[in-house]
Amino acid sequence: MNQNSPSAGWKSVVLRYETLLLAVLVVEWFFFYHYGTTVNRKGVVVGFGTLDRQFDILRHSCEIGLLALALTPVILTAGIDLSVGSLLGLCAIIFGKLWREGGLELPLAAVLTLLAGALAGGLNAGLITRLRLPPLIVTLGTYSLFRGLAEALTHGAVTYTDFPAEFLFFGQERWLGLPTQAWLFLLAAIAVWVLVHRTTFGRSFRAIGFSPEGARYAGLPVGHRTGLVYVLAGLIAALAALIYTARLGQAKADAGTGYELFAITAVVLGGTSIFGGRGSVSGTLLGVAAIAVLKNGLACLPVVIRMNAAEEMSGMFTGALLLLALAGSILPNILSTLRLRPQAG
Amino acid sequence: MRHETAAPLLTLAGIKKSYGAVRALQGVDFELRAGEVHALLGENGAGKSTLINVITGARTPDAGTMTLAGRPLGELTPAVTRALGIACVHQQPALFADLTVAENIGLRLEGGGPWRWVDWRRRGQEAEQLLRRVGADFPANRTVRELSMPEQQLVEIACVLGSGARIIIMDEPTASLTHREQARLFTVVRELRAAGTGVIYISHRLEEIFSLADRVTVLRDGESVGTQAVRDITEAGLIKLMVGREVAQLYPPAESAPGETVLELKGVGCRRAGVRDVSFAVRAGEIFGLAGLVGAGRTELARTLFGLTPADAGEIFLQGARIHPRSASEAVALGVAYVPEDRRRHGVVLEMPIAHNVTMAIHPRVFPGAWLRFGAEEGLACQAIRDLAVKCSGPDAPGSSLSGGNQQKVSLARWLATKPKLLILDEPTQGVDVGAKSEIHRIIRRLAKEGLAVIMISSDLPEVLGMSDRIGVMRGGTLSAILPGGSDPHTVMAAALGQAK
Ligand SMILES: Nc1ncnc2c1ncn2[C@@H]1O[C@H](COP(=O)(O)OP(=O)(O)OP(=O)(O)O)[C@@H](O)[C@H]1O
Ligand SMILES: [Mg+2]
Repeated sequence: MNQNSPSAGWKSVVLRYETLLLAVLVVEWFFFYHYGTTVNRKGVVVGFGTLDRQFDILRHSCEIGLLALALTPVILTAGIDLSVGSLLGLCAIIFGKLWREGGLELPLAAVLTLLAGALAGGLNAGLITRLRLPPLIVTLGTYSLFRGLAEALTHGAVTYTDFPAEFLFFGQERWLGLPTQAWLFLLAAIAVWVLVHRTTFGRSFRAIGFSPEGARYAGLPVGHRTGLVYVLAGLIAALAALIYTARLGQAKADAGTGYELFAITAVVLGGTSIFGGRGSVSGTLLGVAAIAVLKNGLACLPVVIRMNAAEEMSGMFTGALLLLALAGSILPNILSTLRLRPQAG
Repeated sequence: MRHETAAPLLTLAGIKKSYGAVRALQGVDFELRAGEVHALLGENGAGKSTLINVITGARTPDAGTMTLAGRPLGELTPAVTRALGIACVHQQPALFADLTVAENIGLRLEGGGPWRWVDWRRRGQEAEQLLRRVGADFPANRTVRELSMPEQQLVEIACVLGSGARIIIMDEPTASLTHREQARLFTVVRELRAAGTGVIYISHRLEEIFSLADRVTVLRDGESVGTQAVRDITEAGLIKLMVGREVAQLYPPAESAPGETVLELKGVGCRRAGVRDVSFAVRAGEIFGLAGLVGAGRTELARTLFGLTPADAGEIFLQGARIHPRSASEAVALGVAYVPEDRRRHGVVLEMPIAHNVTMAIHPRVFPGAWLRFGAEEGLACQAIRDLAVKCSGPDAPGSSLSGGNQQKVSLARWLATKPKLLILDEPTQGVDVGAKSEIHRIIRRLAKEGLAVIMISSDLPEVLGMSDRIGVMRGGTLSAILPGGSDPHTVMAAALGQAK
């Protein structure tokens, strides 16, 4: 699957993992549409299906969605980046500090923040490709490092608020009928999709994910390409930090805590193999959507509201969904490798 | 002779096996007697390995019956066949890379449950003994990961010898072995035959069939086209049976005098790779053969030139400019191409389609501006499939679905497409059938004529002798002699063994 070869017939389209996931998403949505109710601020009962709620889901999923986009190339190379959530926090603080304490114009602060994100990604990249350390260990380290830095920069107390309306526009208003950040997200999604599916970069990511040795012997610049995915991840995490700040109107050190796990879940749920090589951006987007709808939908189920357990429930169901998806996608592989194991030729 | 009267040890009748739409075996009959060496022959993808996998229980046939010493066999698994006394040297070594040689051998041979007592000293001694018997000169406590392909192959053979099986199957055991190891193997196989073991022997080197086998069965497109006594058939007849047409087995001659010097090495060494003080030059249009024993440092030298283990001594000049490739991607950018020895680990990315594999080393040329062009890619892949007669279901077929020889062809196709200045071939035709082999030889000659310098490493001595304009002989990590093309095999062997004439 996911080789996006142009000659795929209808059968391979129907049987694709993404199609399956889309079906799950639709079922999920209609379930909540049918059973979900909620009370809005004015005390009026509204259903799950309202346009406002859809936009709400979209708004809330942009940051995790961006991180999931950032992680897709990383996981395609059989790597992992646990530090993106912490980096989101660090970048939010850097942005706030540059603007408030550095007195920079907002656009300039934003650009510098993006640079800082890429730089932080570069740190991961350097440690992984130059020192040949495993990505899991490196990013576990920078996971703590970035968060710690963010807290140190604010002494654990300062929160930057009172951003001007022009900036909040990116997180709280609509543009051309959609939440503004949705457009940014769409742009990022298209960019990553093109990179992964339409350029030789994506091809190299897959080759590295399947067989780093094979890629090296083929003369692919393995170190460069591997580094690139982490730099890119840093850059996108910084963009997510900007959107986060604009949505909440505040930049704080604990921004994005735990987001990396949701993002990884979304990527894996989207059919990208944690062992590298296989996966698609469209799968990741569906994974993000499936998790966002689940989370938001559960919050408007009457049962869940009565129990006041939306967070817990969404955690449980996301986990269950992930395990199911894994079982569904891995089982055939396991079976066939068991059968193929002592193969020759 | 005694073979004719011997009772059949193993009989297969009407064996069928398909992989999805690919019909790998379509009703094969086969019979193995005790005390015979029975060769299995056929083009790449004819179904030889599949048949072996059916016999060892690694694959379940779709139809057909098997009888072992008169007793019908039911459903087979590798564990069952092992207990029945069937052992196999697979085409590709399947050893645990992170265990030592002794541990690998022990795991294969020692019986008993998971809680048995392991006598490490005895295990080590037995492993050493088996290694000596197959002529390996590395210690049993080496980790398999550190071994080269032919060394791993020797470990596989040692495992099988130690098993004491009554049916021994060898799927291209000599594909990467040099003359000395091959001769050793033949002695051992003859001993086994004399002791009444039935041996199934697969090889694409016909001279081996004639010197070793008693009978031969030829497979074509998954069907057996006949079993004959080897003494009743000629080489040409065998090829005709196999390919269905005549194949000229002549090596294409060099047509023009070599041009300017393309590659020059001056005292090149790499301590990590065990290569030291190598000096020679290769000119445009010239094929420089590298001969030597397993472990002589031929592959190591190639890896050094390709930047995988960068040189730490001496100088390398490519078209007069001094180069020092520190990685494979640098070497490729400089115009060096290397077809590696281990096709499954290095030559093809097994999970990727043929098309992706073929274009992998020429991304900048096929995909200008880094944009994938699926049409162009498919065209190139189809071209390669046609040129090298790759048997596959199409350019989208993953590398893992190909037979060993066809994987080798894909690995070759990738590098032939790079249009390099220097082409290094490490066992370019290992596991490739006679028809494709002569086609590959023609292609190599043609490329040389277009002005490439070619370095060809091959353990197939006739191939080195037939193809090379000059032959460098390596021993102990250094170049010990340079002989003219067309030297006789004994001179080359003597140089490889370090015997002064
Ligand atoms: N796992 C697989 N999936 C699909 N097709 C396969 C698979 N394994 C083998 N085949 C196909 O089955 C056919 C027979 O393959 P097999 O490996 O038996 O050939 P072979 O005679 O051993 O060739 P070689 O000389 O190249 O080793 C080939 O056409 C091959 O493409
Ligand atoms: Mg085979």
